[in-house]
Amino acid sequence: MTVPALQTTGLVAGYERDLPIVRGIDLTVAAGEFVAILGPNGAGKSTYVKAIAGTVPTFEGRVLLGGQDITDTPLHQRCGKGLGFVPQTENIFTSLSIAENLQLATDVLPRALRAQRVGKVYAMFPDLAGRPRLRAGQLSGGQRQMLAVARALIVEPQVLILDEPSAGLSPKIVGSVFTMLKAINKAGVTILLVEQNVKAALSVADRGVILVEGELRHEDKAAALTNNPLLAELYLGAPPARKAKA
Amino acid sequence: MNAQIIMDGLIAGSMIGLGAIGITLTYSILRFANFAHGDMISWAAYFALAVSTALGTLVPSLSAPIGPFSFGWSLPMGLVASIVLTALLALLIDALLFGKLRKLGGAVIILVMAGFGAALTLRSFLEFVFTSKPTYFTDALQIAHPLFGGARATADQLLGLGVAVLLVALVHLALTRTAAGRAMRAVSENQALAGLAGVNVAKTIRLAWVFGAGLAAVAGVMAGLLVQIRPYMGHDLLLPLFAAAILGGIGSVPGAMIAGLIIGLAEALCVQFVGAEWRAAVSFVVLVAILLLRPQGIFGRQAT
Repeated sequence: MTVPALQTTGLVAGYERDLPIVRGIDLTVAAGEFVAILGPNGAGKSTYVKAIAGTVPTFEGRVLLGGQDITDTPLHQRCGKGLGFVPQTENIFTSLSIAENLQLATDVLPRALRAQRVGKVYAMFPDLAGRPRLRAGQLSGGQRQMLAVARALIVEPQVLILDEPSAGLSPKIVGSVFTMLKAINKAGVTILLVEQNVKAALSVADRGVILVEGELRHEDKAAALTNNPLLAELYLGAPPARKAKA
Repeated sequence: MNAQIIMDGLIAGSMIGLGAIGITLTYSILRFANFAHGDMISWAAYFALAVSTALGTLVPSLSAPIGPFSFGWSLPMGLVASIVLTALLALLIDALLFGKLRKLGGAVIILVMAGFGAALTLRSFLEFVFTSKPTYFTDALQIAHPLFGGARATADQLLGLGVAVLLVALVHLALTRTAAGRAMRAVSENQALAGLAGVNVAKTIRLAWVFGAGLAAVAGVMAGLLVQIRPYMGHDLLLPLFAAAILGGIGSVPGAMIAGLIIGLAEALCVQFVGAEWRAAVSFVVLVAILLLRPQGIFGRQAT
């Protein structure tokens, strides 16, 4: 049997133990799969991926990465185990240069690999390669997103998780970000994507899962979800959670 | 302007700058103003005094002055021991006090108040053990040598200036050219993201304490050597230290040193033209002015 790239079982997480935001999510992501996590505002999408990444406390359940239990793994050790996470905001070090952002991420790698990985990432993102000494805070929104993805990719993660990478970007740049993510996925990286832009997310994902009120309510192939107006109305319209209950 | 004023200002400013670098490092990484930093400077001076006195008693030849300086090898050896002991003291305070408050998610004001408490405890303990009577590393007299434009300085004072400049360069290089320095800068900007990027935040915080304490030790020994040693020596430096750290821009090592020199010069000018009794007011005026006019300091950047 093939080991899933990522699996959560009964995951309960949030900021306060007696008020969990994520309430028992079971999800299995196959190696090489591109999964979009969708749902209305306040559904717990971001909290769910933050709990997987380790920035939000987990109260119950397990997180398995490539079959290895990482639920109690300290935050700083997770990227070394193959988990890349790109937060929605504040996802680069603006006071560091482009090169320093990337070098920082390679510090977990063996010394011999570091320069090669930086070169590899520069080859993927030529926009960043031309000005390594530029302070990251001077980059545009799209370039910042590229640097954030590059930083996460530099350790060659098994699974890359992105929390709303299109937030705050112009439609043109959103298109190029999603094209870039699809190319990364085709290169073999498993992707878990949280996204409000449902259409764009489903256009690149293999599968979509819908969270409502911290629970996984529905999952299906991306194409099936795209053509399912009832689901869109139930879960993605306003106010979705109340309609779903009715 | 008298060249001696500039020399006096630079010498006082280099001590302020060294202490301010420690403040700016811990402030930018730990995100609170550590008011116990001044008392760590005092403890560092007493650590060095205790070790150098002990060494000098055991091996009297170690007390014989080195070349033009007023002190023997027992003092540099005491300084090395003081750096280690002050770093251990800082780590102990963090483990027993600040670390626990951080884990509890304590607000910044709680950490600041805890810092005040720690400062008071440290100072009182020094007074209890060593009394408040001033003391010195050495009783050797030094003659100031003529330098330029009528300015004079002793070999100890020139050494202090040189050490300060060298340390600024070394700390700046450590922060910008090493993995540990990158990690410290990353943690100072965004702890969660640093953790995601593989930085061990707890270890980096400990490293910041060690850096800050090491610099406090050098500042303490310099202040003790150039002025005198007493339990309140660090406490009395606190306002100029914070003024320099803020004037230089929090997180900027060269900024802290340059601002320290500016404050030292301003104090020397004040003594000459306004009166020595107003010296302490200089730092306060600089602090208020910089907070009103350019809160991010000379070398600080506004958030992007």
